[in-house]
Amino acid sequence: MTIDDRAMAEVLEASQDIHSEGIKVAQAVLPQLEEIREDRRGKGINLAEIHRYNQGRRNLLRTLGLGGGNVAGKAALGGLGGLVTALIATPAHADEALDIQILQTASSLEVLAVATYEAALGLPFIKGGNKVVKAFAETTMKQHDEHRAAFQAQTEKLGGTKQTAPNAKFVPVVEGAKPGLKDALAVASLAETLETVATQTYLENIGQLDDTETVTLMGSVMGVETQHAATLRAVKALLMGGAPELIALDASVAAKLPAAAGAVAFPLAFEPTENAADPSTGALK
Amino acid sequence: MTVNTPSDLVEAKVNRRGFLFGAAGLAGAGVLVAACGSDNENTADSGDTGGDADNKADASGDAAVATFAAGLEVLAVNTYKGALDAATAGKLGAVPPAVATFVTTAMKHHQEHLDAWNGAITKGGGEAVTEPDATLNPVVAEKFGKVKDVGGAARLALELEEIAAATYLSALAGIKNKDSRKLAASIQAIDAKHAAILHFVLAEYPVPDVFAKTDKAAKPA
Repeated sequence: MTIDDRAMAEVLEASQDIHSEGIKVAQAVLPQLEEIREDRRGKGINLAEIHRYNQGRRNLLRTLGLGGGNVAGKAALGGLGGLVTALIATPAHADEALDIQILQTASSLEVLAVATYEAALGLPFIKGGNKVVKAFAETTMKQHDEHRAAFQAQTEKLGGTKQTAPNAKFVPVVEGAKPGLKDALAVASLAETLETVATQTYLENIGQLDDTETVTLMGSVMGVETQHAATLRAVKALLMGGAPELIALDASVAAKLPAAAGAVAFPLAFEPTENAADPSTGALK
Repeated sequence: MTVNTPSDLVEAKVNRRGFLFGAAGLAGAGVLVAACGSDNENTADSGDTGGDADNKADASGDAAVATFAAGLEVLAVNTYKGALDAATAGKLGAVPPAVATFVTTAMKHHQEHLDAWNGAITKGGGEAVTEPDATLNPVVAEKFGKVKDVGGAARLALELEEIAAATYLSALAGIKNKDSRKLAASIQAIDAKHAAILHFVLAEYPVPDVFAKTDKAAKPA
């Protein structure tokens, strides 16, 4: 093996530059870290704050091309110091960025929901099937479209760019399910999946957001998506139980409903968040 | 750590000493100093340097929400129990199986919600809330006295669930501690689900609003 002296010299010079930059960053940040240490001394750990920090860090690394061990991206290290300093000096901006990501991801889920209900309404067994199911699909599609518009408007209000594309993580879920959409039960199952993801995502977001106006908007939409999910669970149960005639808005229906219909829509006392979409899944890069 | 249950929430709060309780000026109630320390992100982000005074102010607000929420949950549990007793005594006529299941399930959920709030309160040294909200209780009692059948009971239950969901939604933005805010939202989601099924039982569209409303939200006396 031979050593290219010129290349080695360049590497050494680059290394020294990075080292110098690192020292400058450390010196610039140290007083702030000391302040934070004093401020936080003895106050314990904040899980949500750690999540927010990690989210911001991952996004920063991705922006710099350093995610996933991208060696080529390390050429950008010379400028990293300035970016890190700026990031630490303006924590409010970083928090605001997560709020925007959350809204972009929420918008992407709504775009996907609208497209899915629109596709479902084109299926013959929905279009010409149970009237309540069809009306539910039509109304729910419109409600999701209003949610999309609200999230997009809020994104722009916070200074972000509105997300107009469907959620990248869940598009494959919908596309994968499409060939199997042979009856109303399959459609209700897919719709329930999307409604559950939306509900749990917004619930998780409520614990992450800083902007209080966005918190209220998110809670308001979550309160509707959770009702969509509950209705779909009940519809699914009636379809699976071979009682589609009970999917009707008729005063005589209540007396005929099976006992399980009184509990099937809400299996838990607290809404979980295990199916929540990460804020990065619909965020604009 | 994924926080999915009230136990997780309580554990997380206790572990990081951010969920402290004590006497901070709210007489007769368990006082939840939820926003103490690093939980007080809103204050930190705004560059506020008010320190302990602000933390206590935030905590008082969160404490009031916790106490009020527990009082609402007591009222819900009592009302469902009253409906169950009336049905068992044959005072509501024939009770459809699905309605019977709904009542027992919803009552259990509200008991768990109450336990969650009280668990958080008592872990910090406060007193568990065992009495229903004093303002709403007589109103609901009067309405309950007029219930003659299952339909009337379902209508009253729907009203309670909508009040509860709206109250939690209304409170979200004001809750400084984010874990507490998430707990409130988690309960809001379940109460909204209850309301959807009650709408269906009453032959009404289960999701009547495009956005969940707060106009029915109850407020502390």
